[in-house]
Amino acid sequence: MKLHYDAATETFRSELRAWLEVNQPTPEEIRAEPLTSSAHLPDWSRRWQRRLFDAGLLVPGWPPELGGRNLPPVQQLVYHEEMARIPVERSTNPQGLGIIAPSILDYGSEFLRRRYLLPTLRAEISWCLGMSEPGAGSDLAGLSTRAAVHDDHFVVNGQKIWTSGAHHADHCFCFVRTDPDAPKHRGISVVIVDMKAPGVRVRPLPELTDRVHVDFNEVFFDDVVVPRDHLVGPLNQGWSISAGSLSHERGMMWLASASRLDGLLSRLLELAGERGPDGRRIGESAHFRDALASLYVDARAMWFMGYRGFAKFARGEVSPEHSVLKLFGSETAQRAARLATETLGVEALDVDFEGWSLDESRGPKPWMKQYLVSYAATISAGTSEIQRNIIAQRVLGLPRR
Amino acid sequence: MNFAQTPEQQELVDSVRRVLVQECPTALVRAIVESGSAPEQPWKSARELGWTAIDLPETVGGLALGFTTLGLVIEQHGCCIAPGPFLATVSQFLPLVCEAGAPDQIERFAAPAGAGELTGALAIDHGRAAEHDTGESLRARREGAAWILEGERRYVLDGDAADEVAVAARVDTGDGVGLFVVPQGAAEARRVVELDASRPLAHLRFDGARVTPERVLGTPGRCARALARALERATVATALECVGACQTLMAMTVEYAKSRHQFDQPIGAFQAVQHKCADMLVQLEKARATGHFAMMAVAEDDPRRTLAASMAKAAASDCQRVVCQEAIQIHGGMGYTWESDVQLFVKRTKTLEALFGTGRAHRQRIADLLEV
Repeated sequence: MKLHYDAATETFRSELRAWLEVNQPTPEEIRAEPLTSSAHLPDWSRRWQRRLFDAGLLVPGWPPELGGRNLPPVQQLVYHEEMARIPVERSTNPQGLGIIAPSILDYGSEFLRRRYLLPTLRAEISWCLGMSEPGAGSDLAGLSTRAAVHDDHFVVNGQKIWTSGAHHADHCFCFVRTDPDAPKHRGISVVIVDMKAPGVRVRPLPELTDRVHVDFNEVFFDDVVVPRDHLVGPLNQGWSISAGSLSHERGMMWLASASRLDGLLSRLLELAGERGPDGRRIGESAHFRDALASLYVDARAMWFMGYRGFAKFARGEVSPEHSVLKLFGSETAQRAARLATETLGVEALDVDFEGWSLDESRGPKPWMKQYLVSYAATISAGTSEIQRNIIAQRVLGLPRR
Repeated sequence: MNFAQTPEQQELVDSVRRVLVQECPTALVRAIVESGSAPEQPWKSARELGWTAIDLPETVGGLALGFTTLGLVIEQHGCCIAPGPFLATVSQFLPLVCEAGAPDQIERFAAPAGAGELTGALAIDHGRAAEHDTGESLRARREGAAWILEGERRYVLDGDAADEVAVAARVDTGDGVGLFVVPQGAAEARRVVELDASRPLAHLRFDGARVTPERVLGTPGRCARALARALERATVATALECVGACQTLMAMTVEYAKSRHQFDQPIGAFQAVQHKCADMLVQLEKARATGHFAMMAVAEDDPRRTLAASMAKAAASDCQRVVCQEAIQIHGGMGYTWESDVQLFVKRTKTLEALFGTGRAHRQRIADLLEV
């Protein structure tokens, strides 16, 4: 147990920092073509991801031909630490790179790998993830989008919802029901749908924070024909992909949210120096001091829990930290934003969000916006209730009903 | 940051756990509480197996394994709510002697304590422990080469039992901190009717107790840093014992939820119960990770050690609050009985919460350190 890494790891960190200093997109580039969704690949983003790929710094645990350099786990962790410090993600289509590419690598046929894997890694194509449906949210396995199986093709009918970036995505990694008579977990398959295929229709679904800049969509499939060779993995075995696809860098995914939480804490510390609605310095309030210290402990604890989980991950053990960190991180962020809005009182009601867009998602935004956004974090990617169920049942071994 | 235990640490932790499970069943703690028994164990094992020497330098016969390893061993003691002089001797008395003492004093007091031949206590102001302050209730004044102690130290763990008591007192010079070692009997000890009799507390009344020069640690008026550093060790150790106790209390509660049936099913199948259990685990993971960071920060003398110690105590505080509350709630009526072991764990963690600064006191300290 040690606080510091070995010299070789720190050397890698310095080299990476120097590389990022030179190669990361400039603020001018980003401002010239702002990001508008999580499947939007502006030219600067394509060039940036391609530079990462060519340098073996896109998925550093993978081999060079897949944009990596076979880094050992500890150096991968340092990589993610450093990437969390810069203002842009390694891909502006995070689901494509983080979930879909590894799934195609693990489960896809040789044909699918050749056709989709490298173009995804090189930011030539972008993806959306077709999981949730109006009738299948937390109970994802209850999905009903139907893919009728024919000799050389599927015919897809149904609807997805909360599909991030669907209006920009080239393809959809889509969970569909291929055997309606099997128990619900055993009748699901994954197919790759061309978003330009006849019968695919995308309807934007603005969030409560922003009527104009839309990321979510509803996606309707109306007799959409998908070639048989676009099936990912075996027929009716799609459910295992929904869990397995997250495994590659799972021991490190917490870093981004820990880093965002640090950002919130820095802003709360700044807020302490400002005057509150009563004209007094906010940091003089005993309640604020106690609440801020509590949040500070929790924000630091996010990192410590993450590192503890990583130690298990690196040994190949399963750890409860993934669900614990998701639950804890989202609820802590919510408390942080709530403290600020309640402290600011009427000042928090000025919600001039103009100019805010996804490319600044790691930067400051009005506290009320932060608070509203925090409502999404305890719902998306498994609600807090689902995370508690997972912890109780899979970690503590309590019975499923 | 590497949170993985070394194979040597893992091996030691496993062996400590095996010994404590064998030698320190909850029944032993209950016997102390109910009949005032004074068992040899687990102190006998700690002494014989060298656990007392883990964090001592080799020059005085120690194993020099460091505070990280000691912290892991203390956490295991917490899992068994182990009674006895181990905690106060190794994490309170020894650190103060080693931080402030001259080589001959370390030889005199720390070496025998490390060998398990001497037990120690630490008398500080628990209300001001988070601020690393002596408080005003005990003062020391110079008289020739000796110092005279006047006043009181309250709630001293093992205060009426330890062979030697390290004492922090207010002095009129320099930084205001004087540190002394007095033998048992130098103060009038009054045992508290304490919440947890397996963690005995005493008030020590000093009526002009005379401390001879060889029992004065360092230079009175120039001891604030040594006190602060010793308190950081004591604070982190207290937090880790608390984490260990919470670990077992949570495990007992989860087992109960699996075996207790109502409405024709285990109560642990109800989501309301499951979510309480999940909340306990989250708090436990948080407190353990924060405690482990703090023990590494102290062991490596990292600049973050002061902040880390307060964070560890604050996180342990959150943990015990949630775990105690939900453990009793999920055990239902049985959790409220004397015969259930739940009460033993609850009383231990509530005691640890109050010693060396509550979570609230440490959050104030954190706000100060962050210059909020």
